[in-house]
Amino acid sequence: MKLLACLLALCTAGLARAEPAVYLIDAEHSFVYFEVLHFGTSTLRGRFGALDGHVELDRAAGRGVVSLRIATAAVDTGMPAFDARLRQGDLLATEAHPQAYFVARNFSFDGPKVTAVRGELTLRGTSQALELRALRFGCHTHPLLQREVCGGDFEGELKRGDFGASFGMPFVANRVRLLVQVEGIRR
Amino acid sequence: MKNLLATAALCLGVIAPAFGANYVIDPTHTFVIYEIGHFGTSTNRGRFDKKEGTVQFDRAAKTGKVEISFDLSAISTGVAPLDKHLQGADFFDTAKFPSAKFVGDKFVFNGDKVTEVVGNLTLLGKTAPVTLKASNFNCYMNPMIKREVCGGDFETTLKRSLWGMGWGLNMGVPDDVRLLIQVEAIKQ
Repeated sequence: MKLLACLLALCTAGLARAEPAVYLIDAEHSFVYFEVLHFGTSTLRGRFGALDGHVELDRAAGRGVVSLRIATAAVDTGMPAFDARLRQGDLLATEAHPQAYFVARNFSFDGPKVTAVRGELTLRGTSQALELRALRFGCHTHPLLQREVCGGDFEGELKRGDFGASFGMPFVANRVRLLVQVEGIRR
Repeated sequence: MKNLLATAALCLGVIAPAFGANYVIDPTHTFVIYEIGHFGTSTNRGRFDKKEGTVQFDRAAKTGKVEISFDLSAISTGVAPLDKHLQGADFFDTAKFPSAKFVGDKFVFNGDKVTEVVGNLTLLGKTAPVTLKASNFNCYMNPMIKREVCGGDFETTLKRSLWGMGWGLNMGVPDDVRLLIQVEAIKQ
């Protein structure tokens, strides 16, 4: 009996690992806002998204994988002229690099909640390590779809110069803060 | 001559604090982003893109006045159907109330930096007090336009129900809305 219970537990654990829950990114609730200081005075913000991709979560095993794609030309600051400037070769270089990617396999958990995700951001064809820390994380049941939705708010920081997007420095800061809203709907 | 200089200095000294300087809001560096919680999971954000306004600002006398209005038809969340819902009668009711206006007439200073602006926000035809707290404030000489620019980052959290915007409160959509405000104004 003990052996059976033991085997069952082992099998269940094995199954949980074998089949993590897959969440498809919800395009209505998944955006990246960037923040960068302008002349040491005020914060310029812009939006990327909706994000596209999926997340696999195995909360029992404390593991996850995220794979996101970001269409760089869709940058939206609320100023079309500024958006056009951002798309040029010395900033986002959207013609040569229409997509940015974030891929991460290193998840930190506190119980069932994701607290941090460490991976790699590829922007302008350059890949750099990026850590996104959760400001909040939660799951709820989508009232219309009757499916589990998990997501949260994450923040991270990068130096745009590390990706070669250095125009306007130092009047516009090198340091860029990312605020990521993300929700995934369980498949 | 000495007398003239003294008089001139006196006049400047008197005139500058009395009138301060006039600034016009730079629409390319002035935005409001709202943040509201979504099912306790993530934060929905949206931005108000069309605005105009003026600031009178006197660092010596530590006084100021700002008037800024936002065209609420230019709300931008990145989700077109949500923009439409927000413009409708459930939220901003832009057909009846096309703009929102903030008038701040009490500037709180720490040294020569503004730390708070106290004023009134008119939204949906109702006016209620709002205090904006600065997280950044600075003035600089803009090398392109060769004029002084003052500005900063401000934030506040308000209860939308105070302006009669109650949609979704009974379904758990939060009452608290945080505003993130970038503002820069160019000396005239």
